[in-house]
Amino acid sequence: MLRYIRLYAHFVRFSFSRAMEFRLDFFFRIAMDCLFYAVQLAFFGILYRHTSLLGGWNLDQAWVFVAGIFVADALQMTIFANNLWWLPIFVNRGDLDYYLVRPVSSLFFLGTRDFAANSFVNLLMALGVLCWALFRYPGSLGFVGLVLYALLTIVGMLLLFAVHMYFLIPVFWLQSSRGLDEIYWSIHVLSERPDRIFHGWVRRVLVSILPLALIISFPTRVVLGEGSAWTIVHMVGVTFVAWSLLFVFWNRGVRSYSSASS
Amino acid sequence: MPPIVHVRGLSKRFTVHKKAPGLRGSVRALFVRDKLVKDAVRGVSFEVGEGEIVGLVGANGAGKTTIVKMLAGIIHPTSGQARVLGHDPWKRHNDFRRQIALIMGQKAQLWWDLPAADCFLVLKEIYRIPADRYRRTLDYLADVLNIGDELNVQIRRLSLGERMKMELIAALLHTPKVVYLDEPTIGLDLSAQRAIRGFILEYRERHAPAMLLTSHYMEDIERLCERILIMREGEIVYDGRLDQVVRKHAGYKVLTIHLQEQVQGVCETPELAAVGEVQECNEELIRLHVPRREAATAAAHLLASYPVADLTLEEPEIGDIIERIMAAQKGAPA
Repeated sequence: MLRYIRLYAHFVRFSFSRAMEFRLDFFFRIAMDCLFYAVQLAFFGILYRHTSLLGGWNLDQAWVFVAGIFVADALQMTIFANNLWWLPIFVNRGDLDYYLVRPVSSLFFLGTRDFAANSFVNLLMALGVLCWALFRYPGSLGFVGLVLYALLTIVGMLLLFAVHMYFLIPVFWLQSSRGLDEIYWSIHVLSERPDRIFHGWVRRVLVSILPLALIISFPTRVVLGEGSAWTIVHMVGVTFVAWSLLFVFWNRGVRSYSSASS
Repeated sequence: MPPIVHVRGLSKRFTVHKKAPGLRGSVRALFVRDKLVKDAVRGVSFEVGEGEIVGLVGANGAGKTTIVKMLAGIIHPTSGQARVLGHDPWKRHNDFRRQIALIMGQKAQLWWDLPAADCFLVLKEIYRIPADRYRRTLDYLADVLNIGDELNVQIRRLSLGERMKMELIAALLHTPKVVYLDEPTIGLDLSAQRAIRGFILEYRERHAPAMLLTSHYMEDIERLCERILIMREGEIVYDGRLDQVVRKHAGYKVLTIHLQEQVQGVCETPELAAVGEVQECNEELIRLHVPRREAATAAAHLLASYPVADLTLEEPEIGDIIERIMAAQKGAPA
C-alpha cells in the first residue's frame, strides 16, 4: 500500500512539473473550469427562483449539494479523467504493453498515472465553495456527519471510476468505445441531480445497477442529517459490488487484449 | 545453461474483420462482416537458457513479436504452454513481472516530457529496488552506455539513439533474469547500433540473463546470437546454431575470381555454366555459386582456364541464407 502511495506521489510531482511547463494551457484549463462552476451555480440559482424545494432540498441544502458536484467533478478531473480519456486510445493503438509487464496493478497504473495538476487548482476552488456552503448552512451539521461526508465522497469517486470503466472496457473487444464513452458522459449528468427527483424503476436503476444517483446525493443526505446507517451501507455495498465486477471485467478485457502489430 | 524459458506447442490465432474498400464496403461491413482468421504463431516449441541470446528471425508478420508478447504476458496464447522462470507468463504474477524486461524499439516506455532520471525513480518504486542498488545499477548502466550527462534532459529533447539507451536503462534497472529485445536497434544510425550491441554483450557477460532478440538487422543477429530461430508464417523452420545455418542450408560456396586482364566474351564461355551458377560476371570479375562438394574442383578448373589474378572461396552471407529460408514457400524444405 505504501509503495502505491509513493508511486502516486511521483505521478503528482511529475504532473506539476509537466503542467507548469505549458503555462498558457495551465491557466486556460483553470479558466475553463471556473466557467463550468459559474454555469452550475447559475443553473441552480435560476431553478430556485421558480421553486422552493427540489428533490426535497431547499436552496441552502442545494448549495451543499452543488458544492458536492464541484468537488466530485474536480476530483474526477484531477485524479482519473485524463487517464480514462487515454485508455481506449492505448488499447486501440496497442500501447498497453508496457503497463501490463510492470509488477503493479495495471488498473491502478492506467487509472492514476496522469494526475491533472491544472484541475488540482480547481479542486482547491471547489473545496472553497464547499466550505462556504457548509459554513453558511443554517442547520447543525456535526463533526461525525462531516467526516462521513468526506469518506462517502471518496467512496462516491471510487464508484464513479468503476461506472465509467464499464463503458470503456468494451474497447478490448470493440477496438473503439467512443460511442459508449459518449453515452457515459450523457448519463453522467444524472449524478449531478438530487436522487429524490427520480422515481420508480428509474430510481431503482440509478441507485443500484447504474448507481450514478448515489455519488453526490447520498453523501449530501448524510451530512445534512437526512441519511441513515442504511444509506451508508447501501452506498458502500454498491461500491464494493461495482469494484468486484470491475476487477472481473478488467481481467477479462486484458485477457482479450491483442496489442498491435509492430 | 539451464533453460529458463520453456515453450511447447505455443499458438496464437487472431480473428480480424475484412472490409471491402470504399463507402459501399463500409456500409456493408456495418451489417455483414467477413472474418479473416490468421494464425500468427503455429505450435512453436523452443527453450532459452541462462546467459543465452537467442535471435528470432523472420520476415514481417512471421510471428516474432507475437511470441515475445506472449512470453512477456501481454497477450494470451490460443493454445500451447510456456514457462518462464517457472511461471505461466500470461498469469502475470508480480513475481514473474519483477524478473523480466521488455524493450521494444518501436514503442517508448518513458514519459515524453520528463527527464529520464525522473522516469527511473518511478521504476525504482515499481520494482522495489533498494536505494543503494538502484544508485549502483544506474551508475553502471549510464557509464557503460556513456549517457550520464543526459539523465536530466527531457526525453523529447534526446536523439533517437540516446532515447534507446535510456529505454535500455529503464528496462534493466531491476536486473531482470529474462530480457525480451524487440528490434532494439531499429532506426538507429550505425554507431548507435554498434553501441547498443556492445552494451547488450557487456550486460550479458555481467548478468547472464536469458535474452530473446528480434531484429531485421542481420548484423544484430550475427554479432549477438549464437543460436537463432528462423520463423516463417508462424512456424519455426530452423532452430540451431547460427554458424550451422550455412552448413545445413547452403549447398554452395561463393567462388570469386579477379582476372589479371580483361577477357573478351568471358561471360559467354560454356565452362562457367558447367562449374556453377553465375551470380555476377564482367570482363574483370566472375562470381559464382558452386556446389559445396565440388568447390575445390571448380576452383582448380577455373584457375586452369582463365588468367586469374586472385581467387576466393567463401561461405555465403548468413543473411542471404536466412533470407532464402524465410522467403521459401510454406511447405518447402527450409
